[in-house]
Amino acid sequence: MEPVVGDAGTGARGVNESSAVEGVSTDGMTPVSAADVIRAHALTKIFDAAGSRTVALEDADLAVRAGEFVSLIGPSGCGKTTLLRLVADLEAPTSGELEVTGRSAADARLARAYGYVFQSPVLYDWRTVQGNVMLPLEIMGFDRAERRRRAFDLLAMVGLGDFANRYPWQLSGGMQQRVSIARALAFDPKLLLMDEPFGALDEITREALNLELLRIWAATRKTILFVTHSISEAVFLSTRIVVMTARPGKIERVIDVDLPQPRGAETREYPRFFELEREVRESLRGTH
Amino acid sequence: MLATLLALVALGYPLALAFGLPLANRDRGDVRKWIQETAVAQAPDDLTPLLAGTGLVATADGERLAETSVAVLERRPLGHGAEDVAALTEAAAGAPLLVLSDPWGRPAEGVVAAPAAVLDGGLLAAALHALYLGEGRLVPGSLPSRERPDGQRTRFTFPASDAAGPVLVNGERLAAGAGFSEDGAAVVLARPAPFGADVRRMTGDAAILDAGAGTIALADEHGGGDVRSALAIVRLAERLEGASDGENRRFAAARTRLLDVDPSRVLMVEDRPLSAEAERPAERIDGVVRRVTFPSAAGVVVVDDVPLEPGVHYTRDGTSVVLTSPPPRNARVRQYPGAFLADPASGTFLLAEAPGPGERVWAERYTFHARPGCGETLLECFYALPQHPVPYPHWIAAGIVPFFSKYPVADERNALRATLYTTLGTLAALALGAAVGVLLAVNFVLMRPLEKAVFPWVIASQTVPIIALVPVLLLVLGNAGITIQTSIIPTALIGAYIAFFPVVVGTVKGLRSVDPLALDLMRSYAATPVHVFLKVRFPAAVPFLFTSLKLGTAAALVGALVAETESNNRRGLGFQILGQVQSGNVADVWILLLVSSLLGIGLVAVVGVAERLLAPWRRP
Repeated sequence: MEPVVGDAGTGARGVNESSAVEGVSTDGMTPVSAADVIRAHALTKIFDAAGSRTVALEDADLAVRAGEFVSLIGPSGCGKTTLLRLVADLEAPTSGELEVTGRSAADARLARAYGYVFQSPVLYDWRTVQGNVMLPLEIMGFDRAERRRRAFDLLAMVGLGDFANRYPWQLSGGMQQRVSIARALAFDPKLLLMDEPFGALDEITREALNLELLRIWAATRKTILFVTHSISEAVFLSTRIVVMTARPGKIERVIDVDLPQPRGAETREYPRFFELEREVRESLRGTH
Repeated sequence: MLATLLALVALGYPLALAFGLPLANRDRGDVRKWIQETAVAQAPDDLTPLLAGTGLVATADGERLAETSVAVLERRPLGHGAEDVAALTEAAAGAPLLVLSDPWGRPAEGVVAAPAAVLDGGLLAAALHALYLGEGRLVPGSLPSRERPDGQRTRFTFPASDAAGPVLVNGERLAAGAGFSEDGAAVVLARPAPFGADVRRMTGDAAILDAGAGTIALADEHGGGDVRSALAIVRLAERLEGASDGENRRFAAARTRLLDVDPSRVLMVEDRPLSAEAERPAERIDGVVRRVTFPSAAGVVVVDDVPLEPGVHYTRDGTSVVLTSPPPRNARVRQYPGAFLADPASGTFLLAEAPGPGERVWAERYTFHARPGCGETLLECFYALPQHPVPYPHWIAAGIVPFFSKYPVADERNALRATLYTTLGTLAALALGAAVGVLLAVNFVLMRPLEKAVFPWVIASQTVPIIALVPVLLLVLGNAGITIQTSIIPTALIGAYIAFFPVVVGTVKGLRSVDPLALDLMRSYAATPVHVFLKVRFPAAVPFLFTSLKLGTAAALVGALVAETESNNRRGLGFQILGQVQSGNVADVWILLLVSSLLGIGLVAVVGVAERLLAPWRRP
């Protein structure tokens, strides 16, 4: 695992190691800023199953500030999803420290601090689109009028206002994923955890949804932790990109994305966009 | 639905042919018998002679006159009316009416009724008949007196007051007026009968016994005359006159046999009843040898019941028959001596298999009977057979409406009521089975150890044959005062017993079918277990539940039917199926099976509609 040796000109501008790990010192001693939504230190997850021991994530340090859009990118098995699931308290860490919105991950989950979007839409077949968006609200005890209002607003926001009464199977894959996002936003969590939400979609739909996600992000000012396989998606969406290595899963490098906001289709044409893409690609290549 | 029906019908005909015809062949004997019975039953208005040919004609004295043209009439008692007589005469075409003797096959002396006498008297029965057996003359029936002769008394009474025949003392006939006088049922003898003597009175038909001429004159009441009258006399005969005791015992045995035979059905040829003892060849049929030897030198030769034509299929050489081609191995080669080859034009016929003691002798070809109602050919008669294991679909279709309207709706045997009863039982069984099944499944999913402990028993419960379980269950319930006659509970329990199983398996599978990510999502909402169950697990299980409910419906129906067969409640399709099976009403059994199947299809369709209403999210 050699450090990335990139082009000096672009490397100096594109990579800001100190800002990437700001708030989390390498020795874990530095206190974090109050604005940190996620703070992980020396986070390790080991799966022990029937004689095989897999180190899914080793010694990960990460800080995500409020309002950031942080992408996790890396090869298969690098622990991106594990990290996301640890943050969501869907798995318990083997060791290390993890705080989510200033609490332990479990408390954060119980406080319904985040919304989670999976790679597949995971819509409930027996509920209409609106019913799916309202499901978390039902569980969390929102009253009926509020549930309807929020579902209406959110579906309008993701452009599915006319599909409220359809069943999931009647929607396309992209539409289903937008319902899934609307559902994650339904109870207005501060943090959005997205696990390759557009991974199963075609390129055209994916780019359209990328734009839409940026719009939603800008409109809601959520903090987003986003797992992706796609370099261009990571560069296009993120404020920071966390490059991870596989076996054991480790954070290799954090790259600041200094593309101007708001971003649009033309962003993909900027020379800086390509530079950053190359930056990320080289970081990834360096991890092999 | 229509396609299913068409497929069933399309399948039904080949099935009926494939299974029906071999069975029909096997039962051809029965078919034949049935044809014959049908023929007899339908014959009464037809006076076509059974046989026109030559016969032996004898005088009243028993002397042979000549072989002459005769007609044997329909095998039935003739009526009493004048039109019968006219028809009879016409049928006989002026020939003397042949009446035969000796129905048990030995040469008889012959009896003839002269047509002139018959017609002149206006009474067929006026003909004189003398009946002989070998050397002995038959003695008509008689009744012993009620009193025992003591050597002193002269007055005797007889059981039948209308018995007005001659009186015999020790077999010796007394002359009326001279030997005895009558006083109602009592007879006063001119002189006392010896001590212990046999005092009898001739009965019934034998109005006049002319010992000298050896004839018995018939009473007019048997107006039918001819065969029947003669046989009626024979039936009364008790012994042979002048015969030894040994001969008379043999005669009694023969008489008993004779009485078993309905004389109106005996076929006569020439002067003797047809006897068609089949002769078997001396050789074994090995498929190679063509020459077979029979005991006698004449008769009809048949191979597997198919008559062969002499000169074409075989040539005769004394008792040997040489076939043109060897009969198949183990074929049934038979010779019927004294029988004629079928030739409708000349009115001859072929006999059936040999009759046993007391059996009737039948003509196989019914051409000479009135045509049977079933049709001209065996196949037509097969079609018309009332019962058949595999009926054609159109028979079943034709039977449905009569089957349902056989009993009024108020009657418990009404098929519609039975269907309704079974429907109720099935629905009750399904409700119970589904409730138990879902409850078990939910608990299994919530508590794995419970599943581990109980599920093997659930499986074991289904390996017990329901047939074995039902009587036990009914007995137990009966002890608790719940009988199938009064309650639908036993039916419901038995149906539920097999219906709950698919529900358990399906629902467990359904509850476990939830996408793990969907559960993760619920975890991310910090949902309670109750929420997880109600909002995710249960809805996810609904399609599985409905699928298993469809299976359960079919199972509940089977259970209800089985419960009904085991009971004596006379209700429900199950009972009806059993009843029709036992009474051999095959077509009705098929109708009931059809009704049961349609009921099953209908109930499952109802479950399907419920699914569509309650679980509309499924892709249509």
